[in-house]
Amino acid sequence: MNEKKMTPLQLFLVFFKIGIFTFGGGWGIVAQMQNEFAEDRKVLAQEDLLDIVSLGRSLPGTMAGNVAYLFGFRQAGVIGGAAALIGITTPPLLVLAVITVFYSAAKDNVYFAAAMKGVRATVAPIIFSALLKLWKSAFPKPLCYAIFAVAAALSFFFKISAIYLILMGVVIGLLFGGQAEAKPAAAGPASGTAAESAKDGKEASK
Amino acid sequence: MILLQLLWSFTKIGFTSFGGISMIPLILDEMSSHGWMTASEISDIVAIAEMTPGPLGLNCATFAGIRVAGILGAIAANLGVLMPTFTICAAAAFAFEKFHNNPILKKIMVGVRPVGLGLVTAVIVNLILTNYYTDGSLEWICIAIGALATVLLIKFKVSIPKIIGIAAVLGIIFLR
Repeated sequence: MNEKKMTPLQLFLVFFKIGIFTFGGGWGIVAQMQNEFAEDRKVLAQEDLLDIVSLGRSLPGTMAGNVAYLFGFRQAGVIGGAAALIGITTPPLLVLAVITVFYSAAKDNVYFAAAMKGVRATVAPIIFSALLKLWKSAFPKPLCYAIFAVAAALSFFFKISAIYLILMGVVIGLLFGGQAEAKPAAAGPASGTAAESAKDGKEASK
Repeated sequence: MILLQLLWSFTKIGFTSFGGISMIPLILDEMSSHGWMTASEISDIVAIAEMTPGPLGLNCATFAGIRVAGILGAIAANLGVLMPTFTICAAAAFAFEKFHNNPILKKIMVGVRPVGLGLVTAVIVNLILTNYYTDGSLEWICIAIGALATVLLIKFKVSIPKIIGIAAVLGIIFLR
């Protein structure tokens, strides 16, 4: 993991780029953040991304904005959070300002509608590709698979709000999160690895 | 004055909603009580907001803001929707970083991470149903574009902006 932090200007520029290509709401930015921050720049571990995303989803307001702020804050404090937030919100504001002005033309334009229908067909695969990469970081113990299945089912079939499901995860984590098998590992600073969190978990359960 | 009203209306919408479609009834209430937008304009804006990049709440704010008070109205409405991010999320970010290596927080995250993945999975299934299956029939061209995108993303590591560009072109050619 790269310990070098990003500057507010870098955060603004990268989130501006992400903002242009974010379709399908907050989850759509996760795959782009993976590419930019976990793979290219190596400033964010997959499990940290999942933490930020889960937290951003369960707070009130716009998920994409929350997630951008949380990551920006981690990199460069309040200024970094604000830079990331302005970066991700500016492109949609500009695009929609133009569309609003040409509202009736855009609404009935067959080329625009066809292009956007094609783009919508990629939203599920984009989010799925993010899911695949997040997968490994979420299951340190068998119970986690059950939590995953129950959360997915409650969300899909019963439309239970994300905030309640995350709170369910908090409670289960508090009760059962400490018994992950410990592996001897050198405790490194920052960005906890799976081994590190397992170790801390064991310490906490003593 | 109208800017302050927009800011306040969308601040209320921001604080009482948790993103996405859950914002629509609140937006409908606020817009019709002020006479800013009609119900049919709101359903149009939902369709447009889902087509264009960016979160639904912000897109609705931009649309309503411009309609009511021009570009300054759009900025006021956007600031309103983002108010929870400036306050609650900012506080949460501070606490989260402060307790980042706290053992109890790590225990909590063991339970929260699988929930996060469960939520993503439900979102993906919902997107598959809405984007590949409309009016009782399968959309084969959309499925083909989706399958191509999956292969390009996972097997060939093509970047997301490129995927979106390719899909837009394919859409214009085959979905017109």
